[in-house]
Amino acid sequence: MRIKAQGPLALVGFLSAASLLAQDIPLPSGSIKINLPDGSPLLIAGTVTDQSRATARGAAMVIDLDLLLQLRNVSGRQIHGVTLRVVSQEVTVGGYASVAYPSLHVGPGETFPARIDIELVRPTQAMSGSLVEVNLDGVLFQDLSFYGPDRLNSRRSMTAREMEAQRDREYFKRILAQRGPDGLKTAMLESLTRQAERPRLDVRVVRGGPAVTSAANPAPKSAAEFAFLEFPDSPVAPVSGYAQVAGNEARAPRIDVRNDSKQVVRWVEIGWLVRDQSGRRYMAASIPAADPGLLLRPGGTARVLQDTALNFSKDGRPVNIHDMTGFVSQVQFADGRMWQPGRGDLEKESLLNLLPPSNEEQRLSDVYRKKGISALVEELKKY
Amino acid sequence: MRHPNEAALALQAGGDLGTLARWKMERHLARCGRCREEVAAFQALRELLPEMAAPREIHWNRLAAEMKANIRLGLAAGECVGAEPVTERDTPLFAGARAAAAFASVLVLLIGGIVLERPAPKGELAGIEGVEFQTTANGIQVREGVGMLRLLNGAQDFRMQIGGRVRDVPAVTITPGAQGSMGAGYVDSQTGIPTVTNVYYAD
Repeated sequence: MRIKAQGPLALVGFLSAASLLAQDIPLPSGSIKINLPDGSPLLIAGTVTDQSRATARGAAMVIDLDLLLQLRNVSGRQIHGVTLRVVSQEVTVGGYASVAYPSLHVGPGETFPARIDIELVRPTQAMSGSLVEVNLDGVLFQDLSFYGPDRLNSRRSMTAREMEAQRDREYFKRILAQRGPDGLKTAMLESLTRQAERPRLDVRVVRGGPAVTSAANPAPKSAAEFAFLEFPDSPVAPVSGYAQVAGNEARAPRIDVRNDSKQVVRWVEIGWLVRDQSGRRYMAASIPAADPGLLLRPGGTARVLQDTALNFSKDGRPVNIHDMTGFVSQVQFADGRMWQPGRGDLEKESLLNLLPPSNEEQRLSDVYRKKGISALVEELKKY
Repeated sequence: MRHPNEAALALQAGGDLGTLARWKMERHLARCGRCREEVAAFQALRELLPEMAAPREIHWNRLAAEMKANIRLGLAAGECVGAEPVTERDTPLFAGARAAAAFASVLVLLIGGIVLERPAPKGELAGIEGVEFQTTANGIQVREGVGMLRLLNGAQDFRMQIGGRVRDVPAVTITPGAQGSMGAGYVDSQTGIPTVTNVYYAD
């Protein structure tokens, strides 16, 4: 009888102690749902989630989902890019994510690893149903044909990345052909130096409300005009533009563009540079066309605008905006073809030192750094 | 090396340790990266969750006095129970001193639960409306209220000698989107696969 009386008390004590201490909790089964549609060119050949954890922190729950997928190409064509859509309705009602794998060369029957590492914070510790859903959004093949629902416009973004990859790969192949391995090594060191020296900003983007402006700069907002860089072969030209600027915050950028080509344009993206008070320039953000139904006819004009607030800082200190420059960074025609500035244009306008390297340049410099120049030469000879 | 427990690290993150304990903790943190990271994680969580800030309406002295009284009552009740010989008795399950001990334990549990699950007071972050995208030390995130989705970077910055100089090279490139998005690009250190992550928001 006495033992029976102490049992419930011990259980209550254990539960209260467990709830008060931070601890790892195994994720319930079904926490991660992976959906590949029927007829998909990819099959899941393996899944590893054993590093996933949930940790109680006070009243909140921090969930680490470390997912490693082995994806097999079951199509008859070479895959050059894959985008997965990641949704967690349980945590953020409208927030979602994508994980894309560009610069791939996955032949028929081959597999490749795809890692997704997500952290979720939810205000309560209750867990039920799937926390995260992973869906295939698109697969890009070598010939730039596409498979998938394309809910994230991944066809356009993957095509753009593939074009960048081809452009930069050709650049390094040309250097190898003209100057040999020593020349390639010099070019790689130059690339790594650019990556190390590229000025970087911390940018916070707020939708539906003002970004937090530095208290040290409570200046009233004023409309600041954009200056523009123009590339001779760009099918679209920027005409005018402005944004509301106060201290280190810029809001609601608007840029008018004109279609100078003979084809209908359905997408324009503007690169946005800011210069601080000391004259240093930074790549701040990209401004894509807001209208998904944009159809810009030859000679026509349109406005690229976004209603967001951007807050700039560096090492925790606000970076006040002195002036802004825009340039056309991406154009897509109605037939799906794309235009981007060439590497020579970027170099000429000193943009190569400001823009992030392409995924392919990152990959090739990673091969050089980890395996040396011989491995890089072999890598460039492969494709 | 002996590490402080999680509770002590959480108290350090909130600046709630006593003078001596804080001095000892700071000495430990100066040479222990793991615990520094843990404290930083607690601090980040406090920033994310305004409800973890102290509510003004709780009278801590009164609460402490009540809890002490309940603990004393529980201990006294326990002594009463312990003093009796261990024999089988035909008494109801919750009666007398045992009932008091159980009541005190449940009360302590309830008060602890109320403190942990109390409604969110207005904190600094409550002034921010809308959806926020930003970079963190290890990834990119979208935050809506206290819900947060973060994609962690699969690569870390590295140091290498270039042209006779040691340089810090960032392994991750960040691309903010003015439409309300944040992107990161890197070569995954585990898989060697170029990876581009993005966080967005749909109304």
